[in-house]
Amino acid sequence: MREAGPSATPRSPRRALVIVLGVGALLLILSPLLTPVPIPPTIVLEILFHGLTHGVLFRSPCGSGFSATQCATWTLIIWQSSVPSILLALLAGAALGISGATLQGTFRNPLADPYLLGISSGGTLGAAILLIFKIGVGEENLALPLFAFGGSLATGLVILAASRLLQGSLETLLLVGVALANILSAVLSVVLIFNPNGSIQVSYWLLGGVGGATWGRDGIVLGGLLMATGPLVLYGRELNVMQLGPDVAKSLGVDTERVRIRLLLLASLATAVAVAFTGIIGFVGLISPHVARRLWGADYRWVLPGSLLIGALFLVGAGDLGGVFVPDVVLPVGLFTAFAGAPFFFLLLLRHRRAAYMGG
Amino acid sequence: MSPPSVSVAGVSVRFGDRTALHRVDLEARSGELVALTGPNGSGKTTLLRVILGLTEPSEGTVRISGTPTADLTTRERARRIAWVPQEELPRDNVRVLHYVLYGRYAHQPSFGPESAQDREIASGALAEVGLADRADQGVFELSGGERQRLLLARSLAQEAPVLLLDEPTAHLDIGFQLDLLERVRGLVQGRGVCAIAALHDLNLAGRFADRVVVLSHGRRVADGNPAEVLTPPLLREVWGVDADLKRDPRSGQTYLLPRRLSDAARGGIARGVRRGPVHVVGGGGAAGPLLRALADEQYALTAGALPLLDSDSEACEELGVPYVAEIPFAPLSDEVRARHRAMMDAARAIVVAPFAVGPTNLANLEDLAGRASSVPVLVLDPTPGAVRDFTGGRATELLRQLAAEGAVGVPDASAMLRILSEKLSGAA
Repeated sequence: MREAGPSATPRSPRRALVIVLGVGALLLILSPLLTPVPIPPTIVLEILFHGLTHGVLFRSPCGSGFSATQCATWTLIIWQSSVPSILLALLAGAALGISGATLQGTFRNPLADPYLLGISSGGTLGAAILLIFKIGVGEENLALPLFAFGGSLATGLVILAASRLLQGSLETLLLVGVALANILSAVLSVVLIFNPNGSIQVSYWLLGGVGGATWGRDGIVLGGLLMATGPLVLYGRELNVMQLGPDVAKSLGVDTERVRIRLLLLASLATAVAVAFTGIIGFVGLISPHVARRLWGADYRWVLPGSLLIGALFLVGAGDLGGVFVPDVVLPVGLFTAFAGAPFFFLLLLRHRRAAYMGG
Repeated sequence: MSPPSVSVAGVSVRFGDRTALHRVDLEARSGELVALTGPNGSGKTTLLRVILGLTEPSEGTVRISGTPTADLTTRERARRIAWVPQEELPRDNVRVLHYVLYGRYAHQPSFGPESAQDREIASGALAEVGLADRADQGVFELSGGERQRLLLARSLAQEAPVLLLDEPTAHLDIGFQLDLLERVRGLVQGRGVCAIAALHDLNLAGRFADRVVVLSHGRRVADGNPAEVLTPPLLREVWGVDADLKRDPRSGQTYLLPRRLSDAARGGIARGVRRGPVHVVGGGGAAGPLLRALADEQYALTAGALPLLDSDSEACEELGVPYVAEIPFAPLSDEVRARHRAMMDAARAIVVAPFAVGPTNLANLEDLAGRASSVPVLVLDPTPGAVRDFTGGRATELLRQLAAEGAVGVPDASAMLRILSEKLSGAA
């Protein structure tokens, strides 16, 4: 019997949704408590609650025993640093999750992921060029995500062109992506070597983190995410049919070439908005769709929004882990996704090895 | 009179300098079941793919009820032509009803949800193929025969007037073959569908089809009712097989009883006759050119044990050669080795490609031990101590043993083909 792939009828998709949303809500409440600066948890909740009810700009009362300055600093930390960081993790995770699901479906490959295909690297290179040469002015303008989009889209198109050339050989395509990612990171290294001024900033950013979050950046990411995911979630049915292979999909009426380009474009956009402000965060796009399939089955109409949700929670959770284990330092969240993701990748390989026998 | 459901006029298909179809004409009407037959590589599948619009013809046109298919969008085409592929291995354990609903795609509005009518049609299609009670199960739970019926149900859900079937019975046992073709026959009569089925089994073709079209080397060599077309002379000419024409005493139907390869075919002259099977051991791209050369000579092939995603395993995919695979960079597992040995047991000759031997695939050579005494084993480029040994001499030692057991060293592909042809015809 084939064991790969989730069961036909997930036991209870609705209950899974409720549980996931519950865990998500819990994470969102707990995350602000894990600030790098020690603030009493009750005060954090108080500041959060006060901000939500009275507006963020109003100074919160911190109860007795704390000076007004202390209280103002804490409010600032929570509302201008912690909360935007958590939101950035949430949005970037969502973008990477749905991007991964889209790529896995488009390339019919359970190991596809924006990181492994080089689309993240392309985005990073685009954004890094901007950072190093200081082409944009302010920090919150649209130049960064636009450059990242340029980079990731160009990479996506190269992969697509390769797929045309290699006609139907999607496995080779994945290797093309891996090669491309390596070329891009080599180019980036060369750029960094010749521009040592920007390299520390860029290097840290390359590790992947949500430290640089601001409300403005969150807004940009949200905008890009909506632009990409709005259309993406409508392609569930096409992706379902495309899993049967390009010939069968065409015989059933799906214009596979056109759909693939559109999906690649949207996945590149989603990846780019995440990468622009967080750097490369690997494995979120790989893992989220698998978790979503476990919970809600293989139907892409569920997998796409499900991956968005799981990706968001995964990245917020990874950030929290950083806060728990290394409370005094803000470690790039990309390190934690790699720690969780690489073993998962290995497990996937082992499992698909069994599936490969059945196919071969 | 209304135009024929399917009209293929002067269609040629060339892949590079190879001509797969040469000015083929074919017409089929509604309520007609046409069997498309011919030896391997005669162009049956290519012709079906041209009608489906999956392969662009180099010249000629295909019309569906009078409309050239080139003028139709993918969606419009799917509403007119349904396809049952030879075999489809579902990747995910989708619900059976869901799988059939995929057939409704071309009828649904863009981005719209599926309607109650879609579900009704899908359920009806499932009932029609006798799978109504399996609707809520996963497709992995279906047997091979049920899975072919599932594909038939999906094509019914397309509600297309034309139904194309590519060797729908190839992987089924005789009971399921009869069952499936009886159902197709019923659909053609009941729904007035026009069905064109590529079929290998001439007796099945003769029994179920209204008409038989025979292709040979990409040309249409016969078209007519089964009794006229399927005759011993045609079999000898096209398949290189001597056969007797028998009559079933109960049904009165005639059937062909193949006796042996005709004398011409025995000398390996008749193309289109599969010889072998020949098993190729390779990896890393070493086997690809050999597989292609052997496939061109119409050998039935198997290959192993190759790394997945390797250019050799891709060559197998491309040529339709069954192979045993292992994940890249992992040592061959016992399970893979067992399957590989079983494949080699079935082979009438084994070719060892000049592949690089490392610790992970050394087992490929180990499993060859002792085989040279029972079947011809040809080792390509058997230079001792060549750079392809990455096992510290272990592989070289195994190759030397193989040679001692009677394996033949050959310098290149053309020498391989020559020696193989001698060895196999000698054995026959």
